Amino acid sequence: MASNNPHIEEAREILKKNKIVIAGVGETEQGKIPDKSSFHFLSQASKLAIEDAGIKKSDVDGLVTAFSLVEHTFMHCTTFADYFGMRPRFFSSVAVGGATAVWMVAEAAMAIATGQAEVVLCVRGDNTLSGISSSGMVALIREMCHAEFEFPYGLTTPGGYALAAQRYLHDFGATREHLAAVAVTMRKHAALKENAMNKEPLTVEDVINSRIIAEPLTKYDCSIISDGGAAFIITTEEKAKELGIENNLAYLWGMGQGYSHQYLTTLHDLDQIYNAINASGQKAFQTAGIGPSDVDMAFLYDCFTITVLLELEGLGFVPKGEGGPFALEGRMEIGKDLPVNTHGGLLSQAHLGAMHHVIEATIQLRGDAAGERQVKDAEVALVHGNGGIVSAHSTVVLGKEPLS
Amino acid sequence: MAEDKSYNKPLPEFRPETKPYWEGTKNHELLIPRSKESGEFFFYPRALSPGEDMSENLEWVKASGKAKVWTYAIHHMGPTKAYKGEPPYVVALVELDEGVKMMTNIVDCDPHDVKVGMEVEVVFDDVTDEVTLPKFKPVK
Repeated sequence: MASNNPHIEEAREILKKNKIVIAGVGETEQGKIPDKSSFHFLSQASKLAIEDAGIKKSDVDGLVTAFSLVEHTFMHCTTFADYFGMRPRFFSSVAVGGATAVWMVAEAAMAIATGQAEVVLCVRGDNTLSGISSSGMVALIREMCHAEFEFPYGLTTPGGYALAAQRYLHDFGATREHLAAVAVTMRKHAALKENAMNKEPLTVEDVINSRIIAEPLTKYDCSIISDGGAAFIITTEEKAKELGIENNLAYLWGMGQGYSHQYLTTLHDLDQIYNAINASGQKAFQTAGIGPSDVDMAFLYDCFTITVLLELEGLGFVPKGEGGPFALEGRMEIGKDLPVNTHGGLLSQAHLGAMHHVIEATIQLRGDAAGERQVKDAEVALVHGNGGIVSAHSTVVLGKEPLS
Repeated sequence: MAEDKSYNKPLPEFRPETKPYWEGTKNHELLIPRSKESGEFFFYPRALSPGEDMSENLEWVKASGKAKVWTYAIHHMGPTKAYKGEPPYVVALVELDEGVKMMTNIVDCDPHDVKVGMEVEVVFDDVTDEVTLPKFKPVK
């Protein structure tokens, strides 16, 4: 799938030349883990990723962090550099909500391609479940919506997604079962992942009959909140060889962003969301020189069940309005048409943005997923992040082999 | 509507550029900003038109107060402690006849009677001495 866009072709040449790779991953225990600070998790995850790559801490010369929902800092990346004891020559904090983790990969790649660093540690960690105060939670909900023109009406974060879900049900005649099926598949996958928070089986009826949060969404349509840290190391194939990294590498084939709105008030229609998801995906697909049918597995941001349907459709895996039946028929399960979130996602594994989506894609491409969780012949993965209320999007395409 | 002195739900913090809007609602008028250069309405209010014109030459136009529900979510949990024990309430995005959307509550009806496309009209809820929130109720 060649692109006529010279900028896409240029990006493709840059990625082909540099052979950007994910060379190490680390995830701490996820769940309810009291008595550990945000910076404790960040440090532990960093150490695990460095050890997984088999390199020294001093080999790392770049740092990308995100933000903390608990411990607010003005300069997050350098605050962590100080805590962890490193002096990176490239540092950046990415803060685009749920689109952050995926964009960390791109941020690191751009830094490497422009000579800012050679080995970039990307890390996020937080004690969101144990550490956030009730006033901190209110502040977070307030930040997710327009403080002056939306929050006074009592909008919550699940409520924002419920607004999108309700309109989706209306536009396509979709049902509660369609949404619930997403949560059911995520739970099935989480059961196969050792480091997952919620593993007990879930049925469509369980989801629909769980506590109503904001109609049409119930408790199990909403992602979990957890404590934990996760990190990955981005470098080049050449540098990985030089450092003697023995892991199979996951290669960056393409990346893109798409933006719809920040506040739902300025959303024109659902197509505005689809277009943003599609723009993000298309840039990544075209740079990679592939299309949706070439993807072996997808890691889609699943903060709420509705987002998975919007992303499946916006990215072009299924036509608009057909994500629901696709989910309900179990076609997102391992071994089926398009395995989605083989680690259980935000709905069942843990919530650290899309950090675990990036890590699971890497583990799958490496062939390191345990037992029946491993997707057979997994060669191409797509990872998509969504920040805000389906507002800001980022996509990467990763491959088992170098981009050719 | 009755004024509730003990109102402890979130209140808007006014910005300089949004003052006319909140003065309008206090007078039970829904005022929507429009660029005098492009003639286009926009919402939420900003100091400059968010359109291509980036105009600061704005006017406040009294809206008809008629709207249609674009989408809604029946909230069973609110964002703060003040909502504890409250019955479910409807947060909606409504499309005004003027073409812009705004977030609001649908009031004076059973939450489960709200439908996408339902015709609604503005009502003014004087929640404190200083703040009046425009809300919408079904057109009878």
